[in-house]
Amino acid sequence: MEWLAALTVGGLAGIGMWLLLDRNLVRVVLGIAILGNAINLGVLTSGRFAGSDAAFVTATTVPPDPANPLPQALVLTAIVIGFGLFTFALAVLKSVRESHGITTTDRVTEVTEEAAPDVEEVGLQVHQDDADMHHEAEAPR
Amino acid sequence: MLTAVFVIAFTAFLAPLLSRRLDDRAGWFLAIPPLLAFAWFVSCIPVIARGETIVESLTWVPALGVEVAMRLDGLSLLFALLITGIGALIVLYAGAYLSDHHHLGRFYSYLLLFMMAMLGLVLADDMIAMFVFWELTSVASFLLISFQHEKSVSRRAALQALLITGGGGLALLAGLVLLGIAGEGWRFSEIDIAAVEASTLYYGIMVLVLIGCFTKSAQVPFHLWLPNAMNAPTPVSAYLHSATMVKAGVYLLARLNPVMGGEMGWSTTLIVFGATTAIVGAVLAIRQTDLKRLLAYTTVTVLGQLTMLIGTNTTYGLQAFVLYLLAHSLYKGALFMAVGAIDHSTGTRELSRLGGLIKAMPLTGAAVALAAFSNAGLPPFFGFIAKEFAYAGLIQMGLTGWVVTIAMIVTNALLLAAAGLIFIRTFLGPQGHYPREPHEVSVPMWLGPMLLAIGGFLLGAWSHWPETWLVNAAVQAVSRGEVDVRLYLWGGVTPALITSLITVALGVVFYRFRHQVRLHIARWRVFWGVSGDLIWDRFLKRVFALATLTASGFQHGSLRLHLTLLSLVLSSVVFVSLAVGGSELFARGEYASLNVAAVMGSVLALVGAGAAAVMQGRLALVAALGASGLGLALFFLAANAPDVATTQLMVETLTVVFLAYVLRSMPALPRVVDEAAGSRVAHVLISVLFGVAVAVAVLVAVNVPLAGNIADWYVQNSYPGGKGGNVVNVILVDFRAFDTLGEIVVVALAALAAATLLGGGQLTEMTRKGEPEFDSVMLRQAVRPLAGLLVLVSLVLLWRGHNLPGGGFIGGLVAAVGFILVVVTFGNYQARALMWVRPTLLVGVGLACAVGSGFIGLLAGHDFLKGLWMFPLGLPLGTPLLFDIGVFLTVFGSVMHMMQRLAGRSA
Repeated sequence: MEWLAALTVGGLAGIGMWLLLDRNLVRVVLGIAILGNAINLGVLTSGRFAGSDAAFVTATTVPPDPANPLPQALVLTAIVIGFGLFTFALAVLKSVRESHGITTTDRVTEVTEEAAPDVEEVGLQVHQDDADMHHEAEAPR
Repeated sequence: MLTAVFVIAFTAFLAPLLSRRLDDRAGWFLAIPPLLAFAWFVSCIPVIARGETIVESLTWVPALGVEVAMRLDGLSLLFALLITGIGALIVLYAGAYLSDHHHLGRFYSYLLLFMMAMLGLVLADDMIAMFVFWELTSVASFLLISFQHEKSVSRRAALQALLITGGGGLALLAGLVLLGIAGEGWRFSEIDIAAVEASTLYYGIMVLVLIGCFTKSAQVPFHLWLPNAMNAPTPVSAYLHSATMVKAGVYLLARLNPVMGGEMGWSTTLIVFGATTAIVGAVLAIRQTDLKRLLAYTTVTVLGQLTMLIGTNTTYGLQAFVLYLLAHSLYKGALFMAVGAIDHSTGTRELSRLGGLIKAMPLTGAAVALAAFSNAGLPPFFGFIAKEFAYAGLIQMGLTGWVVTIAMIVTNALLLAAAGLIFIRTFLGPQGHYPREPHEVSVPMWLGPMLLAIGGFLLGAWSHWPETWLVNAAVQAVSRGEVDVRLYLWGGVTPALITSLITVALGVVFYRFRHQVRLHIARWRVFWGVSGDLIWDRFLKRVFALATLTASGFQHGSLRLHLTLLSLVLSSVVFVSLAVGGSELFARGEYASLNVAAVMGSVLALVGAGAAAVMQGRLALVAALGASGLGLALFFLAANAPDVATTQLMVETLTVVFLAYVLRSMPALPRVVDEAAGSRVAHVLISVLFGVAVAVAVLVAVNVPLAGNIADWYVQNSYPGGKGGNVVNVILVDFRAFDTLGEIVVVALAALAAATLLGGGQLTEMTRKGEPEFDSVMLRQAVRPLAGLLVLVSLVLLWRGHNLPGGGFIGGLVAAVGFILVVVTFGNYQARALMWVRPTLLVGVGLACAVGSGFIGLLAGHDFLKGLWMFPLGLPLGTPLLFDIGVFLTVFGSVMHMMQRLAGRSA
């Protein structure tokens, strides 16, 4: 069971990385989802699959060989958060498409990156002021 | 003392509110806290004058022995009086000066924050606390200088000030840490002076501390930022230049003089830098035609002179330092405020346009006259005594003293000429040409300069008063031993008096022939070609270029290269450890037996994902991703994790819906084979390596037997401790509820952010119709009961979740799926009507429930989020249930919030 899980995790992770490396943003978003699934399964696997029953108890009985509940609790919330992340990625994809009309990863960086702050331009302005002042200082009053 | 600092800080936070409520009167109210602090410090004068000190301390990090220790001695008291006294006047003044500025409240805030930082700086005895306040003054001054941030010049000046003083601050920190190590104490009052002097670190400490102080106090070559800081509104300049910011460096020099002043290196450095700064400042000052810039350069001069005076370390020199500090603060504050008033009243600060203002502005004129006389160092003003003592101190030093005295005479003469420009040129003589009709300014604007100027006069005329109460204690704090303090206006015909006379004569000559002087100065073209600002700009440009060069290798903005690097590093880490660990890593595995469902699940997951990786049809992609997720859910089920499986199932459903909604507005995807063959092969290789690495890592991990018995503890304690049969749920809402609280906050935030992007930041229109594809009578009739059923099921899941599969997360997701059916079939208007309230409100209520359930435990005297139960009529009700309801509402609200935006836009 564990090796099957490891194989699945590896396979999903590989596919996820392949998608993330794609030029198209849609595939990148899919890659996020698949890589997320791989990691969730990986966390669950780290708790081993030793138990033969699900982790449910009653007031009087405790199963003799329960599954490990802790990674399950962790993964459960991770799935929901992963969904939040996925929708956020989708939203970014949608708004990139709407505001720039492109869905190519490296092109998006080019289009959206802003120029550096205005150090140079302001510097020039100040020197202009200084130059004016020199003229005034030189003129006899 | 601590109270004073706290009260002023608190006022800073209150200021914007007060300013909005009270409009013009806010200044009067906000001046009260500094004034009270001033009064308190005044009440301390007798105690300090007796030679005692007041110590207060507040434990900060007890584990490390760090505390905020404050100590009031003569030097601190002098500074504290100046900071709070002038501060109160400045607050008043600012209220009138910026009365029509829409961000006046913010300005008060910055100003008071700055006051607080400065007060903390001079009071702190602990070196680290002092440094924190030191940096705070840098930050606060950045905010103040850039207050008119819509002007690029202001932004540049603020950045320059921050970079120079902040950079010096780093050096100072290093210096202070070394000093603490060498001096075996972290308080100024506890430093072992002998140990510091004997230490090999001495010169390192000296250089680092001096860099810090020189940058702050604008000594050449770091003086650039000070005149540029003139871009700030005048109240800021008045405050920064008179009592605060620039005096911080001088303060620290004085504070450390007893410790460091024993070596000649210290004195020589201070005198050389101080004298150079004084001359450069004075020469530049006389060249200015803008009154405010002129004042700024005279400040540079005075700072140079003050530094030089500390360096003399003679009895007269140190007395002169304290006197001069006090005198300068008083007259410089007055002059700046007055110049601001002139600017405010006439609309210009250009010397060539000013003249004859005394008729229009008699009160301001009187204040300027008093302050300018003190500035010029004429008797009987306080400035005169200060100057007299300065000469006496320098002459005491012998030959070097005489050399420096000449520098002092020239700078003082230039200062006198500058004072002449400020008063005579501006207020006397022919009427100037003004953009506006000059008029006397309002009370808060002339009150400050007047009080300060009169103060300067009184302190000079009755010099025994400051001698007894202030100067004596301050000088003792600065000097290395006892010093006999005796102030006088007339000490007979001494060398000092003669130098004074020469100074005055020279100053009058300078003023009389000022045009010629300027012309001569302007001839030294070589110097004026070397613009410090230009050098600074070029330097900054180089730094940016270097930063770009360094970063461009890593910050290239290409997602694919980032990922390539990351995954290759990750893979190689795994493979290297594998090569080191060998086959033993796989030896001890005890695997659980396979079951058919798990195999089917993983095949489905892999095939689905593989299909998503290569297909290009949008519908096919959605279907493939969905299939992959379903496969995973099947695997979870096979692995005895029903809750996880259900969650995965619901999330996968939602994923498919969301993805379909977004993808339908996207163009078709390009084929995978369209990419260059080379990069495709590379990507395959990278991905395969990554996949293998991850698989191997997981295998190695599960080969080690599970350490400890946490799982067992949870299973055993689930019912006795958490009153629930579903161990996973009990962990979520009880044992690890705090984690879950954080996680639902994350979900809520992600939803808010995503919804904003999905809806373009605006409220989208409600759709009254569903999607056309769902427009079939049969479907519509079927969806209604189905959606209702789903919501009902979700409630059941929520209720039973503590004992059986289900819970807040799953319930919330199921309910969301039900409502999404309504949205796609009938439009989101219908869904909204069914929900009654906005989804964001649900999110808020949900988070409130979750947090509230935690507080119940707290109120009952237990820990936060402690599970408490009661059983009315046999029903199990408890705080974990309330918490789970919170989770339910948050998850449901978050999903619905996003869905509403998504569906609303596409209509």
